[in-house]
Amino acid sequence: MIPETGRTERLFFDEHQWDTVEAAMARIIPTDQDPGAREANTVRFVDRYLSGVDYIYAKPDGSGFLTLSGKVADVWHKRIENLRRKYVEGVAELDRISQQRFRADFVRLSAEQQDRILEALARSGGGAEQLVEAAGTIAGLEMPEAAMQQMVSEHDLDFFPLLALHTRQGFYADPIYGGNTDHIGWKTIGFPGPASMAEVHRGDFSTLPYFAQDSIPVQTGGEE
Amino acid sequence: MNQQKRKPDRAQVCIIGAGASGATAAKVLTEHGIHVVTLEKGPHQTKEEYGGDELANAHRYFLWPDPDLNPRTFRFTANEEPWIENLCPVPQAVGGGTVHWTGWVPRFVATDFVQHSLHGDIPGASLADWPISYWDLEPYYTKVEWALGVSGQAGANKYESPRSKGYPCPPMPPTRYASIFRRGCKNLGLNSFPTPTAMLSQEYSGRPPTVQSAFVQQHGDPSGTRSNMLFTFATDALRTGRWDLRPNSYVREITVGHHGWAASVIYQDADGNVTEQEADLVIVACGAIETARLLLLSRSNAFPQGLSNGNGLVGKYLTLHEFTAAVGVFDEPVYGWAGGGYISASTFEFYTSDYRRGFIGGCHVAGAGVGIPLPISFSLPGKPHWGAAAKDWDREFFNHSMAAGIVLYDLSQEASRVELDDTVTDAWGLPVSRITVKPHPNDLAMGRWVVDRCAEILEAAGAKKVWRAYVNRITGNCSHQHGTTRMGNDPGSSVVNKYCRAHEVENLYVVDGGPFPNSTGANPTLSIMANAWRVAEHIARNRGYPA
Repeated sequence: MIPETGRTERLFFDEHQWDTVEAAMARIIPTDQDPGAREANTVRFVDRYLSGVDYIYAKPDGSGFLTLSGKVADVWHKRIENLRRKYVEGVAELDRISQQRFRADFVRLSAEQQDRILEALARSGGGAEQLVEAAGTIAGLEMPEAAMQQMVSEHDLDFFPLLALHTRQGFYADPIYGGNTDHIGWKTIGFPGPASMAEVHRGDFSTLPYFAQDSIPVQTGGEE
Repeated sequence: MNQQKRKPDRAQVCIIGAGASGATAAKVLTEHGIHVVTLEKGPHQTKEEYGGDELANAHRYFLWPDPDLNPRTFRFTANEEPWIENLCPVPQAVGGGTVHWTGWVPRFVATDFVQHSLHGDIPGASLADWPISYWDLEPYYTKVEWALGVSGQAGANKYESPRSKGYPCPPMPPTRYASIFRRGCKNLGLNSFPTPTAMLSQEYSGRPPTVQSAFVQQHGDPSGTRSNMLFTFATDALRTGRWDLRPNSYVREITVGHHGWAASVIYQDADGNVTEQEADLVIVACGAIETARLLLLSRSNAFPQGLSNGNGLVGKYLTLHEFTAAVGVFDEPVYGWAGGGYISASTFEFYTSDYRRGFIGGCHVAGAGVGIPLPISFSLPGKPHWGAAAKDWDREFFNHSMAAGIVLYDLSQEASRVELDDTVTDAWGLPVSRITVKPHPNDLAMGRWVVDRCAEILEAAGAKKVWRAYVNRITGNCSHQHGTTRMGNDPGSSVVNKYCRAHEVENLYVVDGGPFPNSTGANPTLSIMANAWRVAEHIARNRGYPA
């Protein structure tokens, strides 16, 4: 069974870290006429991810999570350890810059002030370049800096590009991972994804209704 | 680790790797009555182990080789210090790359086999003719298409070389992005056709039609209805009762006997037990990069530079393709994720050479979703990375964007190669592949020119905005690998002969993309399978003994 954690049951973050990450994510995918990162619970997504290696891979039928072992478990433990450090230091850095500029912790700033802090963080270090890299590695085309890549590797990213990527993952990954609550992310962009992973696993999820209809003229094959 | 070597019974044939080429060879040999042991580094998964999970598959290496366990190093030129980069990964599992592919399976055309005769010596490049022609491979293309189950429309590609038989299934139903692509081609007067695909458009050979999920590219198939190795050739081979398939078996060396033949294969199983498998004949099928690495790791007194590497050519002439595209957004819905993004339409109008373009060769061009067109991975050139604007782009364009992509034919070069890294080892303590690849000027010119044509197709189809992504380096993003054990008639300039038998080792064969003398502008896996079938049939005629 999936250990059903509540909306705010924390597995890794302390309360302040949770609130800070949640606030920053709410600026990365803000709430407007549609729900945003806050409503999708993306902070819960990343809190679960950082909690250890129990939430790395969902079981393909959606009935829980795979238990990792051997070299794969070892390497994920190492990576999660590294990510935890980045988050702990990243939250502290957000507060440090916020105190410096506005004499308050990040969570207590207005949305506009928070945006200014995040902009500063995005520009610092390798941030700007890495944002491009992160976008490129999530299989986009980012010209001319990064080509079209199939595989993501997030583990070299600095805190802000990492946070932006995790916000996106939490907003759009299957709800089993703790975010995308009620498929909020998918509904926002019009992705008619499966009701559950079980639907895909049974072989029942089909996108045929979204294939070409008669409204698009198609030439017959072999013609020039 | 248990260093006590175990020694099972001697095998007639030992195949290393159970991907596209290894599973094909296993099917053909076992169906000819030969007993085969196959050692596969990765697991033997069943369809129940796959699901619709973009996060696990595209972001957490569920099927990709884990880069921290299986690193590679890379550099552009031999003068540089290499850095760690997981260049051109392919899933390591029974089925190999076919497990997570959509399966674009065009044939090569007749001119692909005579590139040196056609173009002569291109400065900086090392083109070679194949020692076989399209006509030698044609019967095997047909065998693979019918045994695997391919959907396509024979004759629809104006530039296709003659074929002895049509496809077993009619083309896949058109996606919106395929239809839009064909509309653009039609408006420009270009021939286009439904991309031949390793899926079933209808029931075939007792198998149901392929389920059109969105979780296809990079995802295994929980429905078991795609035409990948797991559900076809691996199943066929197991059914013979003559296939001893050993997954989780990581081969680290091929040993040499006193007569200079391959004697045995040393591997480590999942529990760390080291086993020595003797065999009359050894077939290497690890993919061009890992095959070269294994041969280079297999040093002996007879072969101090690596197995069958007396002439120093193992690892050279590596080619990897590159996928890039023009990307467009449309007012009409495109649904780039339908069918996973690659139930496509293609054109070969820019495939064969036209010197007026300023480069030789050309590319398979096809309409597709953008990258992995699923919610997390979706992106567009210039898309903001965060904030309200980024959300607007997702909302406006996720369902309204597509690519016209190219499979870049990168020219073979002697300096593009696989070697063993001096310092970096994998999680099993073995030196990793160090890859050196710098694009040839012809590659860059081709990439630029063909991407411009892609942009015109999208514009002619009604795109309201188009971006062009030109190639500036080879990243291996196609997961296509060729070269490294070049096939040829001259033992001085090639590694294997026209039956893919090593010139220097009489009972050693290579059947993956390694023997391909050059890359082409087309996706290679169908050709790799056809060639593996041809070689396996040749071996079978000699009853499992080297010819």
